[in-house]
Amino acid sequence: MKRFAIGLYVTVTAVLLAWGYYQAIYVAPNDAMQGEIFRIIYYHVPSFATAFTFYSISFLGSIAFLSYRRSRPAWAQIADGWAVAGAEVGVVFCTVGLTTGPLWARRAWGIWWTWDARLTTTLVLWLIYVSYLLLRRFSAGPQMQTLAAVLGIFGALDVPIVYMANRWWRTQHPAPVFGGDSNSGMDPSMVGALMWNMLAWFAWGFLILGIRFYVERHHQKIAAAEAKAALEA
Amino acid sequence: MFQAPDQAAVLDHQFRVAAYVVTWAIQIGYVLWLAMKWRAQKREAERLGIDRAKVQR
Repeated sequence: MKRFAIGLYVTVTAVLLAWGYYQAIYVAPNDAMQGEIFRIIYYHVPSFATAFTFYSISFLGSIAFLSYRRSRPAWAQIADGWAVAGAEVGVVFCTVGLTTGPLWARRAWGIWWTWDARLTTTLVLWLIYVSYLLLRRFSAGPQMQTLAAVLGIFGALDVPIVYMANRWWRTQHPAPVFGGDSNSGMDPSMVGALMWNMLAWFAWGFLILGIRFYVERHHQKIAAAEAKAALEA
Repeated sequence: MFQAPDQAAVLDHQFRVAAYVVTWAIQIGYVLWLAMKWRAQKREAERLGIDRAKVQR
């Protein structure tokens, strides 16, 4: 039953991704001002939406780890599994956003990068979570998870700053498409393509998040079994 | 940076394709890396003689 559910989820995700691609390329019209380059938005925006969601999962996992690490160690390990999975998959999606953005900017602005508030805060967010992953990779000992959880919490505090950056400061990055001022919004003929891609990338994201969590739990259990065997020897 | 309209459209197309290809390269690359990590973990568990059932629990 479990295998069937996973197979079904993978199939639905693959169909959604194919449908999202079809919508982005063949259904949505070219932007009147930007032409075809505008279609990058259908991968760029969902990537950041997914990244921010997974950083939030990492944030909650980190808080739960710190809360339960003494009272309920087993729960704390599960929370830590979600924290590392959220951070790592978040970095993957954030990397996609930070790569597709400059490709769009080169054509739209004539430059690859500028130190605008939205771009800079996003780069800082990416660097914080890369340092979180490096901390987990290269440090050992009982304090590693605690230090990583604290860093994960501080990193997540940058997420609302990134989200609000182009509302608080008007710089180079385009104004918000949704939830901005009265002039914000998208042509109805384009909204469908964006929403389908949003759904597809979230489905894909949660699939790899689940796999990453499973791998981390497996790693934790091997480490625990190894420690137990060493004690018994 | 003047470009003839057809040249601009070709460049737009190439940049759009590059963005989509990069997206998929990063995502598939990550999944492959995860699969390699998973295989290495399984081998490590076997090398240590850790019972698979214990790990699964």
